[in-house]
Amino acid sequence: MRELSHSEALVEAIRECMDEDQNIALVWGSLMGVGSDNKHIEHIKTDFGDRIFHPPISEAGIAALATGAAMDGIRTIFPIGTASFMFRAWDQIIHEAAAAHYMSNGAVTVPVVFHVLHGLRGGGSVQHSQSPQSMLWNSPGIEIAMPSCPADAKGLMRTAIKSNNPTVFIDHQKLNERRGRVPSTPYAIPFGVADIKRQGTHVTVVAASLQVVHAMEAAEKLENEGIEIEVIDLRSLVPLDEESILSSVGKTGRLVVIDEGPPRCSIASEIIAMVAEKGISYLKEPPVRVNRLPVHVPANVTMENYIAPNTDRILKAVRALNI
Amino acid sequence: MADKERLLKIFHNMMLIRRFEEAVFDFHEKKYFSGHYHLYIGQEATGASVMASLKKKDRIFSTHRNHGHIIARGVKPSSAMAEILHRKDGTNGGRGGTFHLSAADSGMPHTSALVGGAVPLAVGAGFASKMRKSGGVGVSMFGDGCLEEGVVFESMNLAVLWQLPVIFVCENNTPGGVLKSQGGNNTSNMPEGRVIQVPKALGIECHEVDGGDVRAVDAIFSECINRVRNTSSPIFIEALTERWPGNYYSYPRLVTGVTQISMAWDEMDIPEENANWFSLHDPVLRFARQLIDDGTMTFGDIAEVDKDTTQIVKKACKFALSSPEPAIDDINKHVLAAAV
Repeated sequence: MRELSHSEALVEAIRECMDEDQNIALVWGSLMGVGSDNKHIEHIKTDFGDRIFHPPISEAGIAALATGAAMDGIRTIFPIGTASFMFRAWDQIIHEAAAAHYMSNGAVTVPVVFHVLHGLRGGGSVQHSQSPQSMLWNSPGIEIAMPSCPADAKGLMRTAIKSNNPTVFIDHQKLNERRGRVPSTPYAIPFGVADIKRQGTHVTVVAASLQVVHAMEAAEKLENEGIEIEVIDLRSLVPLDEESILSSVGKTGRLVVIDEGPPRCSIASEIIAMVAEKGISYLKEPPVRVNRLPVHVPANVTMENYIAPNTDRILKAVRALNI
Repeated sequence: MADKERLLKIFHNMMLIRRFEEAVFDFHEKKYFSGHYHLYIGQEATGASVMASLKKKDRIFSTHRNHGHIIARGVKPSSAMAEILHRKDGTNGGRGGTFHLSAADSGMPHTSALVGGAVPLAVGAGFASKMRKSGGVGVSMFGDGCLEEGVVFESMNLAVLWQLPVIFVCENNTPGGVLKSQGGNNTSNMPEGRVIQVPKALGIECHEVDGGDVRAVDAIFSECINRVRNTSSPIFIEALTERWPGNYYSYPRLVTGVTQISMAWDEMDIPEENANWFSLHDPVLRFARQLIDDGTMTFGDIAEVDKDTTQIVKKACKFALSSPEPAIDDINKHVLAAAV
């Protein structure tokens, strides 16, 4: 099977969907950030020029424009760029896009996709490094996808575009250039189906996005020490595949959750709370969170690396368990 | 020149809005619904005239002060009143309330109570309409306070940049209001005091009109909406509507009482208190006088419309009161739409 970069796979999904459906618009801000990955979108521009709109810097205005258009049946994809910029459009996403279906008693649907690049990217500093996933998860009415590899990015993006709900598609700048095998035909990966990226018997490690890559690196090293971790890639937060997590913890009896957001009310908190409610008897020892430290993100890269959840911190967390 | 049927329809809708809003006030006084709310009294001429020119394919986005818009659009007053009472048969099944009356099947998909919230949504509707070449227009109804919000600037900029069929109707209800500094309720705070300077700076075609004058609003709006439809360029209309004295406070007060329509032809019926409002500004009375003066309607015709609309609102109130509470079992319904 051929290999594509994460960015190429994502763009391929968008192109396939736009080709199939005339009612899809792309308000192209910076789908892949401002780096060289942005070039992958050039051929879409040639093919669908009349459905691609180059926006001014107006996150709030465009988020709501995309929402209003979606209410009228135009499936709109709005790459906001760096996830930090999403706060500019928070009101529009939470109060209008996410609320409309519920508030209209089901009369209105809002098929809009907001694409963002979250997380620590090396020198992003305080205002270009946010991971807003747990804040988004706190709002009803939004589906959240977080792929970790090119094949999942392609399949999940198709589901996001076809979904009748507002979807936040959370990518990571550090995933953009990573390559992987990607089927060349169109396919959808449904939301709410986690993927067990690696089987293991000792510890369940739950992660999403870039942290899956770190967990897989940790797994290789731990294997040499005789520790087999099971890596669960959530792929989507909403809906959440509780069953896969619970059945894995049922098998391993141990849970470590890796999350690039700060620890309080985080993805890690929520996964652990869910397991505590529905499967506490499975746990042989207390679950562990590996989060970004609860500080703002410093520009200094040594400091940034120190606060990040990374392979070393996952190793440390797993080694500290009584396996 | 607008034909008679059109003028009668506008007047009917204005009377209907007035009687509806008086009933809403009464329901709030009786504590049939709780929370903050806003009445459209004093702005009927603008809403009713605007809606008279709109087509089925147009998409209208309104605000916290939406009752008049939704009724003039033709949504059943009974469904609107049931929504205000948070009942099952309300336009939103009791989930929206006074702030969020909407009716997707009538081209009003979503009503935002956040200042400026709905303005960019209307731009989105213009965007959708242009993409699918439907010939529809995104109609944004909003108050002058919206121009204090940054997203409204963004919205207008986008509409101009992408040449979208959007009409911005700013109902400026600050004129005559008591300034905040003098203890009054919210009025807009702009250095120029005039919101129209902002869209002008973006090169948008702008018009201002006496929002209490049906013929003036109807003339300018019907002309503008056709131009927006044909050229796909946005237009901004500032309708200056004199602030209803009941809106001087943070909660509406029916200081002008239940409108006595005979004040339109019998000056003796005008009380001393708020006489200025009744003689010069109340848009329902103003239009009734015009219709009588130019021979379009007689006293009797007007009294008949009053009777009809009062009856409709009575029925709407009865319907709303008899509508059940929404089923609590449905609380989780429609958080997310079903998968495709």
